[in-house]
Amino acid sequence: MVVKRSGAESGGEFTKDHYRALLEAALPMLSGTDDVSTAVKKQFPGGRVGMKVNCLTRRHTCTPVALTEALLDVLEDAGFDGNDLVVWERTNRELQQAGYTLNASSFGRRCLGTDSRSVGYSHVFYSFGDVASLISRILLEMVDHNVSLPVLKDHSLAGLSGGLKNMFGAINNPNKYHDNNCNPFVAHVSNLQPIREKHRLTIMDAVRVQYDQGPGYSTDYIADYHGLIVSGDPVAADRVGLEVLEHFRLARGLPSLAQAGRPVLYLASAQEIGLGVADMDRIDLSVRIVNEGGQVRPGRLF
Amino acid sequence: MDRRRFLRCVGCGAAVTATCHTDLIPELLGGVQNACAFDLAKELSSVEARHYRKIEGGGIECGICPRRCRITDLERGYCGVRENRGDIYYTLVYGLACSVNIDPIEKKPLFHFHPGTTAFSLATAGCNVNCKFCQNWEISQSRPEQLDNIDLPPKAVVDICLQRNVPTIAYTYSEPVVFYEYMYDIAALGRENGVKSVMITGGYIEKKPLAELLRQLDAVKVDLKAIREDYYRRIVDGKLQPVLDALVQTKKAGVWLEIVYLVVPTLNDSDAEFTELSRWVKANLGTDTPVHFTRFHPQYLLRNLPMTPTKTLERAHAIGCAEGLEYVYLGNVPGHPAESTYCPGCGEILIQRQGYRILQNNLSGNRCHACGRVIPGLF
Repeated sequence: MVVKRSGAESGGEFTKDHYRALLEAALPMLSGTDDVSTAVKKQFPGGRVGMKVNCLTRRHTCTPVALTEALLDVLEDAGFDGNDLVVWERTNRELQQAGYTLNASSFGRRCLGTDSRSVGYSHVFYSFGDVASLISRILLEMVDHNVSLPVLKDHSLAGLSGGLKNMFGAINNPNKYHDNNCNPFVAHVSNLQPIREKHRLTIMDAVRVQYDQGPGYSTDYIADYHGLIVSGDPVAADRVGLEVLEHFRLARGLPSLAQAGRPVLYLASAQEIGLGVADMDRIDLSVRIVNEGGQVRPGRLF
Repeated sequence: MDRRRFLRCVGCGAAVTATCHTDLIPELLGGVQNACAFDLAKELSSVEARHYRKIEGGGIECGICPRRCRITDLERGYCGVRENRGDIYYTLVYGLACSVNIDPIEKKPLFHFHPGTTAFSLATAGCNVNCKFCQNWEISQSRPEQLDNIDLPPKAVVDICLQRNVPTIAYTYSEPVVFYEYMYDIAALGRENGVKSVMITGGYIEKKPLAELLRQLDAVKVDLKAIREDYYRRIVDGKLQPVLDALVQTKKAGVWLEIVYLVVPTLNDSDAEFTELSRWVKANLGTDTPVHFTRFHPQYLLRNLPMTPTKTLERAHAIGCAEGLEYVYLGNVPGHPAESTYCPGCGEILIQRQGYRILQNNLSGNRCHACGRVIPGLF
């Protein structure tokens, strides 16, 4: 589903409260429950929750700290202990550059990179199809559930960088998997057993969408969307993200991603292996608008 | 031991591999004399790469290897050690060795290059292919920040060689093409100081950078992993033709060249392939180019296959010899007669080897002691 905030200023800051309002609108609806706490418990039945953020491009188009903290607050308010919540990324440096405060201690909400001392990658390979990789021990050993928390953006090779591509940050050798528009590699990485089995949600930040020249930051191609794309189906989330990207490209007179030579091929591959739904007409898409008072009403994608 | 600093043995021939196993180092160094101290690097390097071009509209194209990666801001190439930052391309591993050791030159293997001498061998993280049988995958398939690296600028490498009387530097273990700038500068400095350089490579490199590099090198050993394009696609994640081109270019440049062909059971071990390979070498490089058929051990992503049977290697050896190749060797079979060098003229044993050891060297300069035939190589 997509939750959007109405009345937001163009280019204005989204605070933790703004994000929280969107999450509180999305999670119950996604879980078919009446309240946030029940929704959280249904999505994450005990154990430890990991949040894989995407900080490759530092502060500009990385997962906002405000979004991550809003999710952490929602989880704690629903009964999770801070000790059971882990924000993670490939490296500590990327987290710090994106504004996160590291905590690799034994207490409180953890925030750490796979390159932290005594963490690193698995000692055995996980493989599926064209991919064979070591996986972050954070995902393997520190969490029971994982949320992919990417930022929706254009990608010079994959076409789109979203929830599936974000999981390249969970493996040791992502640089090996960028040929052929990253296809089928993006799909196959997300289908590595621990990644697939621990995935619970994609919460994709689409507040400001970089629709061209990504994944690096380019001020010329940023559009306000003021929304989050939230789904348990990682393929559907990316597919909806593709609609959003293409919408802004079209509005700007840019060619579609396929015409630009970077079709998002991995979505069909992901559907083919049963990772989720890539056909837009088979996705049960709900759009909700949240106003400043927190009231929620049905809306449209654009 | 202080984790930020560790000792590394040089000059005693002991194998101490850096990679990520620094926990092992104290025990490996127990009782070792002649140890050197190096600092663990705290940062990756940011030296501008060579051989790339900016793309109109943003991004760069790397020109080091045939992959020709196109890389946008803050992304890295396939090798994982070269990064675009604001459309300036940087090598992240300049002066950052992840593995160093002093090896016998026979370990490279180079059998016609100053036999019985040693080579200061070094590697950085990264590789531009992804061979499913890689024996050094822990460094070759890693990004530099995933490993412990030591600060080892070119001058330090050359100084160590001069201090320890090590005549040669070998760029090896991972894939030196991906640390091209570092290798080039060490080799150039080494040459100024009388230290030779050898590149141990998969040969997956573009013509222009190779041409420049060859001027600084004394020998090259190329792993020709197969003679079939399909194998390169499926097992190596690369292409064959650029490797063949690099072999010919190296030979034409007059730099000493030897070839290793790793024989992997069921994948590249047919008579037809041994024949095809031998004929290609004969036609394009000459019968005096040494070819080493070496034994595969189950590694990395090919743990399902057995070790290469000695009989298979002997079959390859027989075919190579029958096709007219004059210096065909077997590797990873210590003690086998085909580890030794024989005179193609009179059949006399010239250099008898056992593993990496030279048991006897009967060359008179570069000639057979019995019939006087000139043996190609640098002796």
